[in-house]
Amino acid sequence: MIRNYIKIAFRNLWRHRSFSLINIIGLAVGMTAFLLILMYVSFELSYDKYHTNADQVYRLNVDIKSANDVLKFSSSSAPMGPAIKADFPEVLESARIFPYGMVVKVNNQLFQENRIYITEPSIFNVFTFPMIKGDPKTSLKDPYTVVLTETTARKYFGSADPMGKTLLLDGKTPVAVTGVVKDVPNNSQFKFDILYSVSSLEKQNPGRLEQWGDFDNFTFLLLSKEANAAQLQSKFPAFLKKHISESDRKGGEDYALYLKPLKDAYMDPRGGFEQGSMSNVYIFSIVALFILLIAAINFINLTTARATERAKEVGVRKVIGAARSQLTMQFLGESVILCLIAFVFAVLLVSLLLPMFNQLSGKIISENIFENGYVFASLFISLLIGIAAGAYPALALSGFKPVVVLKGRFNSSAKGALLRKGLVVFQFTISIILIVGTIIVYNQLNFMRNQPLGFEKNQMLKLDFGGDDGVIKSFEAIKNEFKEIPNVLAATVSHGIPGAGNANAHSEMENRQGAMQPLNINMYDVDYDFIPIYGMKVIAGRTFSKDFGTDSTKAIVINEATAKILGYASPNDAIGKKFSQWGRDGKIIGVVKDFHYRSLQQNVEPLNMRVNPSNVRLLTLKIASKDIPATIAAIENKWKVLIPNRPFNYSFVDENFNKQYSNEEHFGKLFMYFAVLAIFISCLGLLGLASYSTLQRTREIGIRKVLGASIPGIVNMLSKEFLQLVFIAALIAFPLAWYGMHTWLQDFAYKSSMAWWIFAIAGILAFMIAIVTVSFQAIRAALANPVKSLRSE
Amino acid sequence: MIKITDLEKFYRTEEVETIALNKLSIDVKKGEFVAIMGPSGCGKSTLLNILGMLDDPDGGSYMFNSVEVAHFNERKRADLRKHNIGFVFQSFNLIDELTVFENVELPLIYTGVPSSERVKRVEEVLDKMQIMHRRNHYPQQLSGGQQQRVAIARAVVNKPKLILADEPTGNLDSSNGNDVMELLTDLNEHGTTIIMVTHSEHDARYSHRIIRLLDGQTVMENIMI
Repeated sequence: MIRNYIKIAFRNLWRHRSFSLINIIGLAVGMTAFLLILMYVSFELSYDKYHTNADQVYRLNVDIKSANDVLKFSSSSAPMGPAIKADFPEVLESARIFPYGMVVKVNNQLFQENRIYITEPSIFNVFTFPMIKGDPKTSLKDPYTVVLTETTARKYFGSADPMGKTLLLDGKTPVAVTGVVKDVPNNSQFKFDILYSVSSLEKQNPGRLEQWGDFDNFTFLLLSKEANAAQLQSKFPAFLKKHISESDRKGGEDYALYLKPLKDAYMDPRGGFEQGSMSNVYIFSIVALFILLIAAINFINLTTARATERAKEVGVRKVIGAARSQLTMQFLGESVILCLIAFVFAVLLVSLLLPMFNQLSGKIISENIFENGYVFASLFISLLIGIAAGAYPALALSGFKPVVVLKGRFNSSAKGALLRKGLVVFQFTISIILIVGTIIVYNQLNFMRNQPLGFEKNQMLKLDFGGDDGVIKSFEAIKNEFKEIPNVLAATVSHGIPGAGNANAHSEMENRQGAMQPLNINMYDVDYDFIPIYGMKVIAGRTFSKDFGTDSTKAIVINEATAKILGYASPNDAIGKKFSQWGRDGKIIGVVKDFHYRSLQQNVEPLNMRVNPSNVRLLTLKIASKDIPATIAAIENKWKVLIPNRPFNYSFVDENFNKQYSNEEHFGKLFMYFAVLAIFISCLGLLGLASYSTLQRTREIGIRKVLGASIPGIVNMLSKEFLQLVFIAALIAFPLAWYGMHTWLQDFAYKSSMAWWIFAIAGILAFMIAIVTVSFQAIRAALANPVKSLRSE
Repeated sequence: MIKITDLEKFYRTEEVETIALNKLSIDVKKGEFVAIMGPSGCGKSTLLNILGMLDDPDGGSYMFNSVEVAHFNERKRADLRKHNIGFVFQSFNLIDELTVFENVELPLIYTGVPSSERVKRVEEVLDKMQIMHRRNHYPQQLSGGQQQRVAIARAVVNKPKLILADEPTGNLDSSNGNDVMELLTDLNEHGTTIIMVTHSEHDARYSHRIIRLLDGQTVMENIMI
C-alpha cells in the first residue's frame, strides 16, 4: 500500500512537472529563508549561554540619579565587585572587566588592539574561557601579565610558543605572556584578543581601583546555585549606604544597583560590549513565519486548484474500494514527499548561501548548517509543512463524491475558489507590507545619512594616536607639520569627535534661577581650532581663543541643548554663567548650535567643550577634495616619521559617523532580501494559479474567440481576476504597514516622513509584478487556436 | 440478491425538483444478467449508482443479500462495495498514472490481499482478458477496446458477486463492443450477477431480462429467451 502511494506520488510529480517545480521551488525558497532566519534568531538568542555557569552569572547595572536625569549604565565602578563579594556570602565570585585599546609592539611590529580586557583571574571562574596554556588561577595574578587568545598568539608569534614572551604595550610597558585561551565563540559578547592583569592598573595608578564614582568597568558576579538574585538586589541600597558616604556622592547623586542575568545582557538596551536587538529578533521571526506561510499557501492553492484534474482518480479509487482515510493518507503522503524534496533543496541552498548570509548579517552566525541540529529542526519543520499544508487539499480531495466526479459534472467549488482568492490576498498583503517596510527602512537610512548634522563631516580625516604622550607634548608642532602637506587644509586635536563617543562629566552649571544645577553632561576635550575646523556654528558668545589666557582653564562652550536644560530662553542668556567641572571652575563663553554628535536615533543632548590638549587622542585633518589618495599617502609618510610608535589608522569622519547605522543597514538589507523572496514565492503561486485558471477556461476562451473576442480583451478578462486580488491586498497592507513602520520609526529621534509615494510605489510594484506574472499565461491562452481548445472537449 | 422497494431519488436545484426515481421496485436474482434501458434522463444511471452504493436513495428500501443497506454510512458502503461489487464504465475510468497491471491490482490492495497473491490473481485475470502482453503499458498507450478489457479485468479481479456496467460498449466500435459483451456473458455464465445500463438493443439481447425505465418508473419488462 505505502509503496503504491509513493509510486503514484512520484509519477504524479513527474507527470505534472511544471506544477511540481513551482511547488518545490516555492517551498525550497521559503524553507531556505525560514532556515536562515531560524539560524539567525537562535544565534542571537544563544549569546553567552555556553558558559558553564551562565545561569548563575549576573552583570551589575548601575543607575545614577541626579536632579535632572537618570543615567542607566551597564558598567559599574571598580570597588563594587570585591565589596559585594566580601559582604554577601551568596556571591561566590566577582570579575571586573575594563575594556581598553592599546598599541602592542611585538618583534618591532605595531598592532592597534582595541579589544584588550583588563581583568582578574576570577574571570576564569565566572566565565568559561578554556585555557590551552597556563594556569587559570595564576595567569593574570601578577602585574604586567597577559593572556592571549589562540588567534592573537598566532598573529604575534606564529607557531612559536608564546609562553613567557614579552609584548610592549603603548610603547612603554613590557608585559609577559602567561597563558593562551581558546578563541571566544562567535555567540559571545566578550570578544577580546588580550586579557591584561588588573593588578597592573593598580600598580601604574595606585588607588585607581578604589574610585567608587568612576563607572568605567563592567562587573560580573557569580552567585551560588541557591542564591536568589531578587533578594540580593534588595540588599543593595543598604550596601551602598554603608560604602558610599553622603559626601562621596557627587552633588547629591543617588546610585542604584541592579543584577542583569548574563543570558539577558546581550539584549539589554543599556548596551555593553555588544548589543542585540530583541525587536529585530521578533521582526525576523515573524517575517520567517510569514514567508513559510506564503510558501505553504502556494502548495494549498495549487493543489486544490488542480482538484478537478485529480477528481477522476479519486472517484475511480473510491469506486474500486478505497476508503476516504486511505485517500487522505495518499494525498498527505504526496505532499510530505514534495516537502521532503523541497527540504533537500533548501539544505543545499542554505549551505550555499550561508557565507553570504553571514556577511549580510555582519557576523558569523553559523559556518555549517549541520551544526546545532538545524538540519533536524528543519526536517521536522518540512514534515510539519507537508502535513499542515497537505491536510486541507487531502481532506478536500478525498471528500469528492465518486458519482459526481465520474459523471464529469464536477467543478471546483465556489468555496474552494474563494479560499484560494483569500489566500492569494493574504500572500500579497504580506508581500506589500514587506515592500513598504523595505522602502521605509531605506528611506530612513537615507534620511539619516543626508540630514545636515550641524558640523563639517566631508573630507575630514580622523587619525587615532591613542593619546600618545609624545604627540600631546608637542601637538601644535605636529599639527603644523601635517599642515605643510599641500592638500591638508587644517588640523585639530581632541578627545572625542562626532560619531565616535565621548566622556561624560559630572558638572554643575548656573541655571536661570541662579542656582548651581548638577548635570551629567557629555564632554569633548578639544584644542582652540576644533570648533572652527568642524564648522560648528557659534550662536552666542564666542569660541575659544588664544587671546584669552583663561580660555584654557576657566572657559567652556556649551551647545543649545545645555542652555535649554539650564532654563535659558535665549542662548545669549547663558553667556558668562558659572560652571564647575572636574576640578575646573569658570564661565560659559559661548553657545554652539546643536550638532549631531551621535546617531540620529538619539536626540541631541547637553554637551560642552573645553580646551584641554593634555587629554586628547584623536587628530582630525581637513583635506582638499582633490588627489585624496596622494594626500593620504603623504600623511602616512609624515605619520611614520612623527609618530613612529603608533600604527597609522585613518578613517573619514562621515564614514565613521555612518558606521553608527550599520545595524540599520544590515537590517534594511535583510529586510529587502526577504521582501524579494516573499514576493517571488507569492508570484510563483500566482503563476501556478493563473495557469490552472486559464487551463480550466480554455473552452470558454475558445468560444469567446469564435464569437469574436479580441486578444487584448481576453488577456484583460483573465488578468483582471487576479489583479483585483492584488488591489484588495494593497488596501489591507497599507494601514498595517503604516502602523508597523510607524512603530519602528519611534526608535529614531529624527525620522523621515512616511510619504504617500512610498505606498504608491509599493502598490504599483506589486501590481506590475502581478501583471507580468499573470499576463504571461493569459496571453498564451488568448493566442491559442480556438479550434484546438474546442475539439479537446 | 437485490431487492429494491419503492426507491425514491430527487434532485433539487434552487427552483426545480426533479424526480429521478419514482417509487421504483426491482428484484434481481443471483446469477441473473439484467439490462436496464430507457431514454436519457429516465433514471438509469441514478439507479445504477444507488445499486452500486455510490449514492444514497431519498426513500424506499434496498436489500443487498438480505441486508438493508439504504442507510449505510460511507465507510460501511465502501466496505461492502469493495468486497462485492465491480464497476465497468463507458469511459473506462482507468487511472492514467498507473500501468495496466497496477490498475488491475488496485482493488486487491484496497481489500488487503498480500502481494504474492495479488500478482497471481492479476496475472490470471489479465490472461483471461487477453491483455497480458500489455501489462506494463499505461492506459493512454492502449486502444479503447483494450482499455475496456483492463477495466473489466479490474472489475472482476476481486471476484465480485455483482458487476454493474454503465454502457460498457458506449465508447467502442461494434467489433470491440461484441468482444466486451462476450466477456460479460462469460462472467455471467460462471456465476456473476450482472446489471448493465445500455442504449443498445443489440447489447441488451445478451441479457436475460430487460427492464425499461421512463421517468423513474418501470414501464416494461422483457424476459429474453
